[in-house]
Amino acid sequence: MNANLKETILNPIFKGNPITVLVLGICSSLAVTVTLKGALVMALSVIAVTGISSLILSTLRNTIPSRARIIVQLVVVAMMVILVDQILKSFEATYAIDKQLSVYIGLIITNCIVMGRIEAFALGNKPIPSMLDGIANGVGYGMILLIVAFFRELLGSGTLFGFDVLNRIGYVPNNLVILPPFALILLGCIVWVQRAIQKDLQEK
Amino acid sequence: MNTNSNAYTIIYTTAIVVVVAAVLAFVSQSLKGKQEANEKADTISQMMTAAQFGSKADFQAKGNTAVLAEYAENIAEAFTVNSKGQKIADFDLGKVYSPSELKKLNYIIKGAQDGEAELPVFIFKDNTTVVPVYGAGLWGAIWGYIAFEPDGKTIKGAYFDHESETAGLGSKIKDDVNFQNEFKNEYADFGAEKVFEIVKGGSPKEADGSEIIDNKIDAITGATMTSNGLSEAVSQWLKAYAPYFEGLAPVEEEVAEEAVEETIAEEE
Repeated sequence: MNANLKETILNPIFKGNPITVLVLGICSSLAVTVTLKGALVMALSVIAVTGISSLILSTLRNTIPSRARIIVQLVVVAMMVILVDQILKSFEATYAIDKQLSVYIGLIITNCIVMGRIEAFALGNKPIPSMLDGIANGVGYGMILLIVAFFRELLGSGTLFGFDVLNRIGYVPNNLVILPPFALILLGCIVWVQRAIQKDLQEK
Repeated sequence: MNTNSNAYTIIYTTAIVVVVAAVLAFVSQSLKGKQEANEKADTISQMMTAAQFGSKADFQAKGNTAVLAEYAENIAEAFTVNSKGQKIADFDLGKVYSPSELKKLNYIIKGAQDGEAELPVFIFKDNTTVVPVYGAGLWGAIWGYIAFEPDGKTIKGAYFDHESETAGLGSKIKDDVNFQNEFKNEYADFGAEKVFEIVKGGSPKEADGSEIIDNKIDAITGATMTSNGLSEAVSQWLKAYAPYFEGLAPVEEEVAEEAVEETIAEEE
């Protein structure tokens, strides 16, 4: 694997994380992180959407008329989002989670990470690196989602993936943690930790 | 080839839209059966939750097949009634009403559309009667099921669902078990203009802390529009069912009223 490709994959996961560094996709990371299950399904959905739309649009990149490129991108991303939603609705195991996530699956289309990576990367690079870039950004996004959801479910409901953990030892769930503001506080803490480790992100 | 010409742009965008539409239509058609099966099992579990066969989470954990089997085991009768409360016809015990079917009935009930409403009634083997309600919340449709005790007046339980109410506020009609439990043991006053109300301060307590049994429950804090919408939906739909329930068991109703009077007398 050449250094460039490695950089493409690793950069979005830590150094250029879409949530903590680019501050994209904040809305959904507040909304879907009450339970780990919901966050995991959302993360996988976003990975599928970013990866496959980047692949399709990168394959088409030399044929897309530049004046209508945003429209073409939107149509492809919208198709992927609807496909993901339809598939989630079809399986017994994911039907309830799809209902719980409700509009947020459909709102993946407004997630700036998806359109941002297509515009910035997929339209100027070959299909395979573009797909990897999309997937890596989805993973970077999903990772933060899972970290936030881990703390919110543990402290807010006393469970992890629906199994009693803190509840077993008589923990009283904290309702504040369930509410969106706490997700923002947690995100702030994650950004703080990352900037403490990675000094070059700190503003002078 | 000039990819910037007008003709190319128009043809290209048209072609891509047609291809995407074809893909989506194909996927939607091929997954339709599975989605409908999921929706049906979900509706059944909502009805059974209202009728107190278990909690919604339990039914979700059991899976579709088990839910359908349990329903088939417990359902006794399913039929439609007209606005005079007369039975029109039985329908297949396996049939449930999807939100879109309830929506059509809702037009007739609200008088926005002419026609005779054929209202579904589900009766379980333990004589619990379950009827649907449907209405408008703040952002979209809300619907649900209300289960009645065999006396046709006392509410045994309720379950509600919604399309897009605000998470954490309006969505409590679905997620908050405590809210649904408030319906238990209250009654529907079929004679009144508002058969059932969900209002601010709707659950006053007796001096000793016990709940006063009436046809009102407390609205959800921070979700006034959803509460009002649900109140309207429940009241209107139960009003439409009033002739049916009133004609059900007038004798038993009198006994129940006497019992209430007796307890009041005792307390005095």
